[in-house]
Amino acid sequence: MIDNNNVILDVRAISRHFGALKAVDRVSFQVRKGEIIGLIGPNGAGKTTITNLVTGDLKKNAGEVHYKGTDVSSMQPFQIARIGLTRTYQIVKPLQGMTVEENVLVGSLYGRGNRINDLSNARKTVHDVMELVGLYKKKDFMVSDVTLPDLKRMEFARVLAMDPEVVFLDEVMAGLNPSEVEESMELVKKVREDRQLTIVYIEHIMKAVMGISDRIIVLHHGKKICEGSPQEVRDNPAVIEAYLGKKYAKEVMKANE
Amino acid sequence: MLVQNDKRCTMNIVWIVVAIIIFTILPNFISGYYIRILTAIFMYAVLSQCINLMSGYMGYLPFGHVMFFGIGAYMTAILMRGNLPFIVAMLLASLSAIVVSIILGFPVLRLRGHYFAIATIGMNGALMTVVQNIDITGGARGTTFPIIMLPPGQVYSYFYYAFLALMIITTFAIYFIVNSRFGFAIRSIKANEDAANSMGINTTNTKVVTWAIAALFTSIAGGLYGYWMSFIAPDEVFDLMFITNSIIMMLIGGAGTILGPVIGAFIVETVSEFAWSGFMEYHLAVLGIITIIIVFFVPGGVIGTITEKIRDRKIAASIKSEVAANDR
Repeated sequence: MIDNNNVILDVRAISRHFGALKAVDRVSFQVRKGEIIGLIGPNGAGKTTITNLVTGDLKKNAGEVHYKGTDVSSMQPFQIARIGLTRTYQIVKPLQGMTVEENVLVGSLYGRGNRINDLSNARKTVHDVMELVGLYKKKDFMVSDVTLPDLKRMEFARVLAMDPEVVFLDEVMAGLNPSEVEESMELVKKVREDRQLTIVYIEHIMKAVMGISDRIIVLHHGKKICEGSPQEVRDNPAVIEAYLGKKYAKEVMKANE
Repeated sequence: MLVQNDKRCTMNIVWIVVAIIIFTILPNFISGYYIRILTAIFMYAVLSQCINLMSGYMGYLPFGHVMFFGIGAYMTAILMRGNLPFIVAMLLASLSAIVVSIILGFPVLRLRGHYFAIATIGMNGALMTVVQNIDITGGARGTTFPIIMLPPGQVYSYFYYAFLALMIITTFAIYFIVNSRFGFAIRSIKANEDAANSMGINTTNTKVVTWAIAALFTSIAGGLYGYWMSFIAPDEVFDLMFITNSIIMMLIGGAGTILGPVIGAFIVETVSEFAWSGFMEYHLAVLGIITIIIVFFVPGGVIGTITEKIRDRKIAASIKSEVAANDR
């Protein structure tokens, strides 16, 4: 399922500064087709900024982003979305004044290659996707009338309706209760299988990240401090230090020995 | 909203056809005075419909949109003095309005919200000053149209039918636009422009094309208005009051609804003609107060409030039926 020779997304030394603050500082990583990559780090580590840089919502200061061999780092967000590289937002961005169904419909109408021109076809895709994420019953609700977890589901459905190849999921599980997190993890796995998706997964819920990621990238103060399998990341002293501080890192290392 | 409700959809079509037939035969039964009022209502409905497309559906309020009205009127006048027939002159004029809207649209539609509204006012003012100071437009004294070769009674109904047709065409065109794939892009821009962009919508092009569509219908209305009045002056056809009135009509009828601007035009024009004609300028104050009240308490306007009620009832019914199914 994971094609080791097929690097679909190649981020090369990307940087972004806000004044003197180096939000993202020469971060490089590769994503292979079919992988689920966990992108973690303490608050303010630069996870969302990287997402913004890759999907074109923010302009980079330096570096390159290669998606399927082409440099997309100077393209507009809509162009990037149309070639199959999409994202959800940590702070949900529903299309206000529309129903849940219409929100997903827009994704289906304008997604990759904007191939679905006809509304009834698009509607069918939308119904399938909404069934998948468990939102079909609420399709006629206005987005202002549904709860935050439902909005997160809707954003996920909207992205899936766009028929992407690589998806950045920015904290889709925030605000969910433990059983919903469980459901959501199953959903992400299922979707990866069904649609041959490649997923970059940003999350604070460690149980979820450790449970579904093939590889994990850890950011701290805008720099990549570690990359590897969940087990490697868990045992890495730099990671423990970033999360727990120097003192506890030493204690943990001692205890491990 | 589209085809789910076949029965209601058919009923709506029946009502619209009935209304069109009534307005088609109406001039035979009413005097010239009422024909003139109805003509003005149809014209305002067209302007309001264009504002509705830009503001109600796309969220960009083009306060200086009247510039296309002026362009339409002046270009038609100039071309008709060059001995072109009215239809040809009007179409060429609307073409020039489209060109202007595209040239201005690319820089100015980068601005959002109030900045866009104010920028368009500035452009309208600049254009008016140019028209006031060049020879081909007749300067500040204005310009005249060739005399229309019809008996006075027929002139009235000529413009009545022209504006009626334009109103119907504009309304249907905008209905099909907003319910098409392109319409979803327009509505997404109002809802959340950044999200729309990240979903694969080319927001810049969508905004410019939408403005060009609004400019097209506005400039046709301008050309017709000029021919109707047979004399136009810069401070008349570039008057922001046209747009202010259209905005009020849109808000009263229901912004972002297809029949809202038409209903709003009927309400505002009728009321200002009959109830307020005795008060002269006071009605502007009353209109302003009404607008504030509407924005605060009935933001959906007439049509918006009704459709909201219908939708709420539908959702309540679906929840009720689900609860009943669970109980069983």
